Amino acid sequence: MKQQFVRGLRAGVPVVLGYIPVGIAYALMARQAGFSAAETCAMSFFVYAGASQMMAAGMYAQGAGVLAIVLATFILNLRHFIMSTCVANRMGPGETRKKLLAAFGVTDETFAVFTTGPRENATVPCFLGLALSSWASWNVGTLAGALISDILPPIVTASLAVSLYAMFIAILIPGLSGNWRLGALVVLTAVCNTVLTRVMPSSWALIVSTLVCAFAGVFFVELEPESGEEAEHA
Amino acid sequence: MPDNRAVWIILGMALVTYIPRALPVVLLEKLHFGGSVEKFLNLIPYTAMAALIVPGVFTVDAAHPSVGLAGGGVAALLAWRKCPVMVCVLAAVAADFLIYCVIG
Repeated sequence: MKQQFVRGLRAGVPVVLGYIPVGIAYALMARQAGFSAAETCAMSFFVYAGASQMMAAGMYAQGAGVLAIVLATFILNLRHFIMSTCVANRMGPGETRKKLLAAFGVTDETFAVFTTGPRENATVPCFLGLALSSWASWNVGTLAGALISDILPPIVTASLAVSLYAMFIAILIPGLSGNWRLGALVVLTAVCNTVLTRVMPSSWALIVSTLVCAFAGVFFVELEPESGEEAEHA
Repeated sequence: MPDNRAVWIILGMALVTYIPRALPVVLLEKLHFGGSVEKFLNLIPYTAMAALIVPGVFTVDAAHPSVGLAGGGVAALLAWRKCPVMVCVLAAVAADFLIYCVIG
């Protein structure tokens, strides 16, 4: 139990290292948008959803209303319903109260690490460890960004914008090696989302293409048996 | 008043973000999944990641698509060579920094 928690903390290392620069990038955006340092940090503490926090900062800067920002956040974060379903399913039955706490820690990255990691780590304490190290680093990054926002040159701020995507790419690609059907599914999803983004709001396009393409993948992708070679993920 | 607005935004966002995260925990206790559904759920990480990256990465800097392309490309190349996540992230940021130095 305690050992699983420590394993989770350790599995969080790649997420931690990714979250610090992204947290800094978010904090710089939020400060520029007009949030105080305390508000910038409070949002990371209580909301803890990077993409929507960046979107909220952007909307706030443009003078959007409270309701519009909250609604956009809801739609953007609906994808967590799908991810949380996968995470909860993988943790197995029981321990509902701890799982309700763990659910707060479901993000694109913790979900990706947990659901593609080794099967023996598919436990509630392991996810709690992963979630805690990730959440803490998101807040450390935010705090650092909120404090240095006034002294950092704009060219550095602009360069940090890519860090969120770089982290997604770095998590996704190693899982594809040696499985060309899975690679084909990823390309299919990318194309599908690009097309859908042109005809509907991008947060809806994301949800639709994720679900439709995963459904299509059931019929032609073979996933490796959950053992052996995945150990290097940990 | 502007202070109040930020507080309501944060509270509202926190609420609507937690609900979709917590709901599956409550619902799943009553459900059980078989083979195909399990496979569907296992494929979602890959499709969700793909959709998060494309086309968003190309609009990192809407005025200069090369910024997203270079940063994303560097990250992809290093990830393919099995570099750690932080190396990929920092290299992508460094690549974009260089590009901004060139294009001003």
